[in-house]
Amino acid sequence: MEEPTLRMRKLKVIFPSGRGIIRAVEGVDIDIEKGECVALVGESGCGKSVTSRSIMKLIDSPPALTRVDELYFGGKDIKDFSESEMRKVRGKEMAMIFQDAMEALNPVITCGKQIAEIFLRHHDMDKKEARRETVKALELVGVPEPASRAKNYPHELSGGMRQRVLLAMAFACMPKLILADEPTTSLDVTIQAQVLNELRNLQKSHDVSLLLVTHDLSVVSNLADKVYVMYSGKIVEKASLRQLFEKPHHPYSIGLLNSVPKLSDEESGFEQIPGTVPHPMRKPEGCYFHPRCNHATEKCKKEMPPLSAINDESEVRCWHPRNMEREEAMT
Amino acid sequence: MKKRQDALHIRIKRQMKRRIQGLVYFIKRLWAHPKGKIGLSVVTFLVLVALFAPIIAPFDPYDITERAEKGLSPRLQHPLGTTINTGQDIFSMLVYGTRVSLVVGITSGLSIAMVGAILGVTSGYIGGFVDNLIMRAVDVLLVIPSLPLVIVLTNVLGRDYWIIILIFVFLGWGGLARTIRSLVLVIKNSNYVRAAELAGASRWRIMIKHILPGTSHLLIMSTALSTAGIMVAEAGLSFLGLGDPTAISWGRMLAQAQEGGALLFGAWWWIIAPGIGIFLAVFSFMRIGIVLEEILNPKMQASAGIFKIFKSLDSSYVEKVFDSMDEEDRQKTGAVAPQPSAHSWEDV
Amino acid sequence: MKKGYVIKRILYSVFILFVVTTLNFFIPRIGVDDPAERYYPPQGNMSDAEYEVIKQLTREEYGFDVSTPEQYLNYLGDVAQGDFGTSFRSGNPAVTGLIADRLPWTLTLSATTLVLGLIGGILFGVFAATKRGRWQDTTLLNMSTIMTALPAFFIALILSFYLGFEFEIFPAYTNPNLVGDFSFSLDGLQMLARNAALPIISMSFGSIIGYAQTTRNAVIAVTNEDYIVTARAKGLPQRSIRYKHTLRNSLLPIVTSLGFSIGGLLGGQVVIEQIFNWHGMGTLFLEANEMNDYPLMMAIMLLLSAFTILAILVTDLVYVLLDPRVTVGEKR
Repeated sequence: MEEPTLRMRKLKVIFPSGRGIIRAVEGVDIDIEKGECVALVGESGCGKSVTSRSIMKLIDSPPALTRVDELYFGGKDIKDFSESEMRKVRGKEMAMIFQDAMEALNPVITCGKQIAEIFLRHHDMDKKEARRETVKALELVGVPEPASRAKNYPHELSGGMRQRVLLAMAFACMPKLILADEPTTSLDVTIQAQVLNELRNLQKSHDVSLLLVTHDLSVVSNLADKVYVMYSGKIVEKASLRQLFEKPHHPYSIGLLNSVPKLSDEESGFEQIPGTVPHPMRKPEGCYFHPRCNHATEKCKKEMPPLSAINDESEVRCWHPRNMEREEAMT
Repeated sequence: MKKRQDALHIRIKRQMKRRIQGLVYFIKRLWAHPKGKIGLSVVTFLVLVALFAPIIAPFDPYDITERAEKGLSPRLQHPLGTTINTGQDIFSMLVYGTRVSLVVGITSGLSIAMVGAILGVTSGYIGGFVDNLIMRAVDVLLVIPSLPLVIVLTNVLGRDYWIIILIFVFLGWGGLARTIRSLVLVIKNSNYVRAAELAGASRWRIMIKHILPGTSHLLIMSTALSTAGIMVAEAGLSFLGLGDPTAISWGRMLAQAQEGGALLFGAWWWIIAPGIGIFLAVFSFMRIGIVLEEILNPKMQASAGIFKIFKSLDSSYVEKVFDSMDEEDRQKTGAVAPQPSAHSWEDV
Repeated sequence: MKKGYVIKRILYSVFILFVVTTLNFFIPRIGVDDPAERYYPPQGNMSDAEYEVIKQLTREEYGFDVSTPEQYLNYLGDVAQGDFGTSFRSGNPAVTGLIADRLPWTLTLSATTLVLGLIGGILFGVFAATKRGRWQDTTLLNMSTIMTALPAFFIALILSFYLGFEFEIFPAYTNPNLVGDFSFSLDGLQMLARNAALPIISMSFGSIIGYAQTTRNAVIAVTNEDYIVTARAKGLPQRSIRYKHTLRNSLLPIVTSLGFSIGGLLGGQVVIEQIFNWHGMGTLFLEANEMNDYPLMMAIMLLLSAFTILAILVTDLVYVLLDPRVTVGEKR
């Protein structure tokens, strides 16, 4: 079997502060195969953005302290890569798409120049070639009149176009892995669909691996092959897309799925998970989810459950996983 | 009728109580901040000095006729010596100078906050022509160099302290009004203001009850900072000999020192003393202002001490934190690794 | 689009200048029915009849014998032609000439201070921002509080005391012969530099610290922006991130603050010129104030305001060059 694009073991990130230590990420393992789209799902504040930025080593110390046991990327061990070594990887082999293109693009530099920077940095090109490649990159992501759009400043473009500029930047060097951090959250629903389509087509046609960080399960269902559900700094469930949507095991995953309104739902309205994500400085004893869980027992209050395999397609971190009886019946 | 009055009374009382609680809260927060504590202590100290100046000062600072001992260097009887030309006791002058600085500074600071709040809120909330008028006035005020304008105005209007305060307020409200206005533009579009509007509250009521409180943190901060600024300006004015000629102020002391030949005769204490007075007063008010800004704008606060925190971090504690995240592992590798199916039936 | 904005800004500056000029016309008229009373206040030993005669003479001399609107229009016309009337000084010299004599001396001080302040401030500010949170940065913050609390005139006194009188490194007062002896020779420039040293140093302290604080805050604000993370995620080298992405954006707030700080600089210089007895507009202004020389005083006021308006206009236009987002009526 081909080696995975990304293999990460036990990523831990903490933020020391005046009032205590914020435990942002607590030992997250992620595997991404070549050409695979992996989704990292969770509410805001659960550590998913920190996780994706840590893979690219974009989290500075200070303010953060990071540990990782293993970090293999494209067959290379990048665990101990220095900042300057990472700079050669970033943009070329690993790229990132940020949430809000208005914020993520420099307002005083034209979009074209911001894309061309990547070619100038990572390929041996002169400015003219870089400009030509920039136009091509814009064309690739479906920007009409790419040559004249390249001369525009970010504020002169529409939201969808700006987001496509970010896509163009990410796909510029056809990296092995793209980390997309809420890539469409800031867009209107219709534009969202277009940009997602574009993203999926590019990803599939160029066989690029994708880590999709999002809280939006409808985005996940469109793109992902495999899903990691994250809660309060830990992975609580890892499953294939089909498995997760059909038979979620963790009460939190069930809650997330139920909170998406469906037309077919017979009950009016949709369910909410009660309560909020615990403050990262004051996490509860035992399972982090137990204060919000309907099925919590004494054990849940005392011990953190391990992430254990239920079948080939899923692993769950729960003492009392749901949807199990049918599982038994099937096997 | 009486009932309604009573209700009104209770409401006013409750409001007063809330205001006072708010103020106490602010002071507590300030006190909890190490830098704020310094600022607050110095301000309290200066206020006490100003209040009890006649008791603290060993001599009458205004007495320029009956002093035989002129140009004394610091000694027990005259802790800061006496002036060269008139033989006044410099320490007593310093003590009395506190009064002018504090009164002019604080009165102007508070009035600027008031005028700035009223005009800023009006400008932002009413909008239209009124807004335009006020903002154009601000633009004009900001381009006229303030010290020369103050000088011209004192020349025309006179040099009483209340006139000087009035001029400072007239010149000082512009920047604050502009800041308040931009904040009001944000508050104006917030849901609770919209709700109040829909509920039919009058403009006046919305401005007082809903918008003004939203700007209060800015007002408190700016009062501290503009008080500091005015105290510098007043010192400059008095230094030029253009302050109130009847009062002793730190700025005037410096001017007298320069004219009286303190530089020539090496009487450094005559210059340093009023300088320290100005410095302490301005510094403490600025400190309070800056600390308030930090408290109210947590973004700035969080970044400030991060290096200190990192330095003081106990590495073994950090390792312990990291290790604590692994606990599940030991279970997994241990013999007690739970079988998923084993407990899945328990609660079904 | 941009052109429209530029024209609008220029017109607005002219409008503000017009308002300031109008204020200038009315300020001496506050509190008196007849400007002649302001220009020539009644003296104690004068009979009413005598005073009436003098008032009449004053009115004729300064053009107060027509109605106020007419006086106003005349004033505007004169100002537009650069004619600010005559001073009260003996010989009644033209105000314009008096100012023209002092202007270069004042600008020497302000321009040098400004350049020193900007260079020093930006360097120090960028340095502090890169050392954010470390002692270098905290030092800047503390120094900026201390410097704001220490008025420039107090620093000037201390400098003149120590560097001037005690150690005699620089002249404690401006050499009275400086103006007469000055020439554009090596000796002349050296003499100028020696005499200007203390005034410039006294003003530069605050100036450098002020710009450093602005720069530091601006750089840090930009460093926290998402597009800097984007730039890093593209794998750009440190140098390119710092100069292409950070500094250019950080310049925006610095440019904005620059225009306004020039007004403060010119105003504050009045006190410094007085301390060192510098042959500039500041001392001229204070002399005029002492003699109630209104034509001269108001002319200096107007000139200082005009300088500030010009500075703000120029910085606004530079801002437009730096920030593509500014289009008609968008800024501020």
